[in-house]
Amino acid sequence: MSSSTEAATDHGEHPYRGDDAHGGEHGHHGPKWLAHHFDTPVQQYDAAKLGMWAFLIQELLFFSGLFVAYGVYRSWHPEMFQQASHQLDKIMGGCNTIVLLFSSLTAALAVRSSQVGNRNATSRYLIITILCACTFLVIKYFEYSHKFHTGLLPGRFFHPHDLHGGATLPTNAHQFFSIYFLTTGVHGLHVAVGIGVLIWILRRNLRGDFSKEYFTPVDLAALYWHLVDLVWIYLFPLLYLI
Amino acid sequence: MATTTKDDHGHGHDDGAVHAHVSSVPFYLLIFGALIFFTVLTVGQSYVDLGKLNLLFVILIASCKASLVVLFFMHLRHDNKVHGVFFVCGLLFIGVFFAYTFNDTEHRAEMEETSSVPVLPKTGEQAPGSMDEKAVLESRAKMVKEHHAGGGGGHGATPEKAPEHH
Repeated sequence: MSSSTEAATDHGEHPYRGDDAHGGEHGHHGPKWLAHHFDTPVQQYDAAKLGMWAFLIQELLFFSGLFVAYGVYRSWHPEMFQQASHQLDKIMGGCNTIVLLFSSLTAALAVRSSQVGNRNATSRYLIITILCACTFLVIKYFEYSHKFHTGLLPGRFFHPHDLHGGATLPTNAHQFFSIYFLTTGVHGLHVAVGIGVLIWILRRNLRGDFSKEYFTPVDLAALYWHLVDLVWIYLFPLLYLI
Repeated sequence: MATTTKDDHGHGHDDGAVHAHVSSVPFYLLIFGALIFFTVLTVGQSYVDLGKLNLLFVILIASCKASLVVLFFMHLRHDNKVHGVFFVCGLLFIGVFFAYTFNDTEHRAEMEETSSVPVLPKTGEQAPGSMDEKAVLESRAKMVKEHHAGGGGGHGATPEKAPEHH
């Protein structure tokens, strides 16, 4: 602490760093949300955001494995992919895209409200975001149950029957549905986790944990939510449209 | 920019507080409008067959949407530059992942039925440096069979689980 206190004295009066210099008790500086190993709120905020970005990039690298699998199989069997993807419902997928984009908007607005200290608006936007996330999963449920009923399942469970307009699928189309269920399933899992995180943030916001000075958790949860949106932005056209 | 207070807000000193960039509500609505526009565009395009260009078009539109989300919803545009560097590095490594994998999977040979010569399925030319895959599969199946006969049984791959692909 001593070196940072010296640095702080160079800046003159300092709202967050001054305590030790004024003979304050060690570890008691600034507001209660400021962890004592950080000198200033901005330092804490920067560290938290950097950590979150490292996590998000890890998530992207994780999803990229699924996209590589998609790319390899698609390039090996372009005709099969085209025929199989016609079995997906563009309209439902499109609705889900719009729902998710809208939830991303409200997540961004929740962060903005938090930044300007409007706690009620933050809660409102968080609730809308959570409802959109639930809507996404409900639509996904209808899509999945349709696939289950027509036997469009991954791997050895694949037994297509009663398809749209009596279409027939190549025997290796199970590969497409393996990739479809794996990618959308892992993405859906992220949506479910996101709902949990957003509910937790909402609860903390209602409790009054956040303010204009401290909105980091809202910011980070929204970043995660945008990542979920980002993955869907690529999944939707690649699976449903081509 | 978001987190350093010295330059952008004209306060002469660093007060240690967080001063994030705040965009206006209409601006966020505008970004959302653009995202919806791109979504309608990509769904509309799916009804028109552009042949090989389909994939390119789809990736291009998705990347426009992703850029909007990353730059504005995720604040990378007005954020600490380090986060942008992190993000771009991540993308580069995804690029490496794709490049190396495709360099393998796109150049794998298939056995030609009649001549048993490994050929590249896309061009029909004989594959360079390719192994005789049929022989490899047969010897593997034999190994597994011997392993099971030897009493080891009960675990490991079965012959029909051998890669069915190429």
